[in-house]
Amino acid sequence: MVGISKHFTSTEALVDVTLQIERPMIYGLVGQNGAGKSTLLKILAGDYQPSSGEIRLEGHKVEISSPRRALALGIGIVYQEFSLLPNLSVAHNILLGQEPMNGLRINERRLMDDAGQALARIQAQSIPLTARVGDLPLSQRQLIEIAKVLALRQPRLLIFDEPTAALGQKDVDDLFQVMANLRDQGVTIVFVSHRYREVLEVCERVTVLRNGRVVAELDRPDTSLEHLVEMTVGAKTDTMFKRESRGKEVGDVVLETKGLSVGTRVHGVDLTVHRGEIVGLCGLLGSGQNELARAIGGDAADVSGKILVKGDEVQLRSPRRALALGIALISESRQDEGLFPDMRVAANISISSLQRVLWSPYVRILSRRKERRLTKEAGAAVEIAAAALQRQISVLSGGNQQKALLARWMMRRCEVLIMIEPTRGVDVGARLEIYRQIERLAAGGTAVVVVSTDVPEVMSLAERLITLYRGVVTEEFDPEHATEHQVSLAMQGGAAGPVENQPAEVTL
Amino acid sequence: MSSAPTSVLSRTQARFGGGQAREFAQSVGIIVVGAVLLAIFAETASAFLTSGNVRNILVQTSVLGVVAVGETMVMLTGGIDLSVGAIAFLGEVLVADLTTPLASGATGQTISSAGAHSWEFALIVALLATGGMGLLNGLLVVVVGIPPILATLASLLVATGLGELVLNLRYLMVTTPIFAQLYTNNVLLNLPIMVVIMFGFYLVGGFLMQKTPFGRDVYAIGGNPRAARLSGLPVGRVTVATYTVAGLIYGVAGFLTVCQLGMVSQNDLTSLNFQTIIVVLIGGLSVARGGVGRIERTLIGVVIFGMLANYQTIEGVDPSFQQALLGGLLFAAILADRLLRGRS
Repeated sequence: MVGISKHFTSTEALVDVTLQIERPMIYGLVGQNGAGKSTLLKILAGDYQPSSGEIRLEGHKVEISSPRRALALGIGIVYQEFSLLPNLSVAHNILLGQEPMNGLRINERRLMDDAGQALARIQAQSIPLTARVGDLPLSQRQLIEIAKVLALRQPRLLIFDEPTAALGQKDVDDLFQVMANLRDQGVTIVFVSHRYREVLEVCERVTVLRNGRVVAELDRPDTSLEHLVEMTVGAKTDTMFKRESRGKEVGDVVLETKGLSVGTRVHGVDLTVHRGEIVGLCGLLGSGQNELARAIGGDAADVSGKILVKGDEVQLRSPRRALALGIALISESRQDEGLFPDMRVAANISISSLQRVLWSPYVRILSRRKERRLTKEAGAAVEIAAAALQRQISVLSGGNQQKALLARWMMRRCEVLIMIEPTRGVDVGARLEIYRQIERLAAGGTAVVVVSTDVPEVMSLAERLITLYRGVVTEEFDPEHATEHQVSLAMQGGAAGPVENQPAEVTL
Repeated sequence: MSSAPTSVLSRTQARFGGGQAREFAQSVGIIVVGAVLLAIFAETASAFLTSGNVRNILVQTSVLGVVAVGETMVMLTGGIDLSVGAIAFLGEVLVADLTTPLASGATGQTISSAGAHSWEFALIVALLATGGMGLLNGLLVVVVGIPPILATLASLLVATGLGELVLNLRYLMVTTPIFAQLYTNNVLLNLPIMVVIMFGFYLVGGFLMQKTPFGRDVYAIGGNPRAARLSGLPVGRVTVATYTVAGLIYGVAGFLTVCQLGMVSQNDLTSLNFQTIIVVLIGGLSVARGGVGRIERTLIGVVIFGMLANYQTIEGVDPSFQQALLGGLLFAAILADRLLRGRS
């Protein structure tokens, strides 16, 4: 029996949250990004300390002062990023840091026995104990991750943080079976997920968090997908950003995909993008929207189906090829994939348009004067001050860095701009500016595809909004005549029922 | 915050941004180190600052100076080239072998003069071979995907082996007068043409890196390869080109070695492999990541290295101690880099 109550006032990440878990069962925890789920998990894992409130375990007040303490109390967390060492064997991974010893040597036989027992508890004996973890499929690694937590101590509370984002349907079903078995062995399970359909399938009770508060505690018989969506989204959707004018007349088709598939993540997507329009692509984490965007930007392997640019079928083997056809990509990871941290802002802007900075097409020498003039132009278009152009880009704020990347593609004059999570790591004030720049780009004739998990953002920005679920397009919306509920529901796979792993089923 | 007292460095940082302040501090730092060493050497060894000795220093470092240009370019892309000395050796052997009519073999045989070629022809063949080795490095790194340190280690062995195969345990004495002329005849300010060639390489190399799209691409690839790809840069092509150009530069250095030594033997350039990396590091490049540093600073690293070696020779320092001191210098360079750039 676990009774947990917490009060968090300093940061307001969690406000007076009370969870009561009475008996071993599978318990759901849902909420949108920023609702406070991660904070709550980190408190239970011993990473954070609550600013007020208390945690009671089987009636006794406990303090989870460190991750070690959490494990000693029998609280284990299976994180969504795996912590396995790919070059070690399965058994060594499961017992990492607590290998049974024979003096100074590892007792290999006991190691195998203990690891085998941990795997047996989750009916995963079929995983070979001596295999290298790096050689195993994702679904088996997930099970090893669970076995690792089980081997640590006898866990009483096991928390799964978004465990299904990377798994296929069959593996998800197997995982749920494992969770049910553990519950029958007396372990309480907390299942944290954005996928409400799965939550409803497996959880007996669900707690909904919104803005750091518990807004509902629902038993499964009393709830439905619509109800969960409604509770998480809430009544008001404050979109701070209002489009000045939505594109009235639609331009020519500039980009088209037909039956586009990417690996196992995207299945037969048909997409049409017109000149001067902003199209939003929404999906839950891991629904294939990022892979789809990268495929169009020439940065994905294992792509099949057709991509047409202005009516001609093209092969986008590399980002360079896509750019030659006028398609630019700004990825969700600015630091890793966007910026050249050691370069000045101006050089970051001009890097993709050095042909325009040459003395002449025949004298391939960079002209400082031309570079200054053109980057000043591009910088001014996104409201980067001329003085900032000569500073090193790494000292700029996230918002200004993002604007510099926009300026890079303005200078290049691309026709299609794909932005994945355009405002990640950008503070609220700068977000509005980014939205305005995107709007301005579209008004100038560029087609913009915005990929985001942030529904209000896309609804306020896009002319058309397309939802994906498990790599398949589920619905298309006109954001002016749709509600956040409807969109969120479509991102959960739609009310009509699951469309698991089916080939192209496009609702237009 | 703004009222808090700030150091010169952080004030400069606020003005120009962290990186530029660092670059500036590094440039000043290395020049100061060079000047202090110069002052100490000139004070303690009266022969050090004579024009004859300055000429000596420059002549003796010109081969190292030339190859360091190639190595700097490679390290700016974020790679490293361990095969410098070996490739230069291959070029050296080819030049000497092709231009030598009477080669005194180890067995004392005399080879007929029919095999002798002009120095121009020899240079072209040598450049084809060394450029080819550079190309091989580039392809191994880009197409096969082998880490540069391993790819160039393999090339080190291949180039050394090829060079030894051609040399066939001989000592080659070159007799063509052009080589001695390049070494002895002064063309500019009392300096022979080899030294002028070395400075020429820094001028051209600096221009290439700072003023052309190629150089900009090299910096971008070294600074962030993923971003370079998404920015549409021809990452593979530029990387292969850099290793190839570096190979050509090593070939020229091999030619200059023939001029300098007048004869060729098996172990002429083995120490060049690591000397090159040392001078580039003294010049402020990082082994850990590319995209930072300037080719001109490598020249200062070369001169510091040359001064140190020369001073120890005139003062009669034990060669073993010279090695240790060199190691100390490398330590100092890496520490300075850490201090300025942070630990990450």
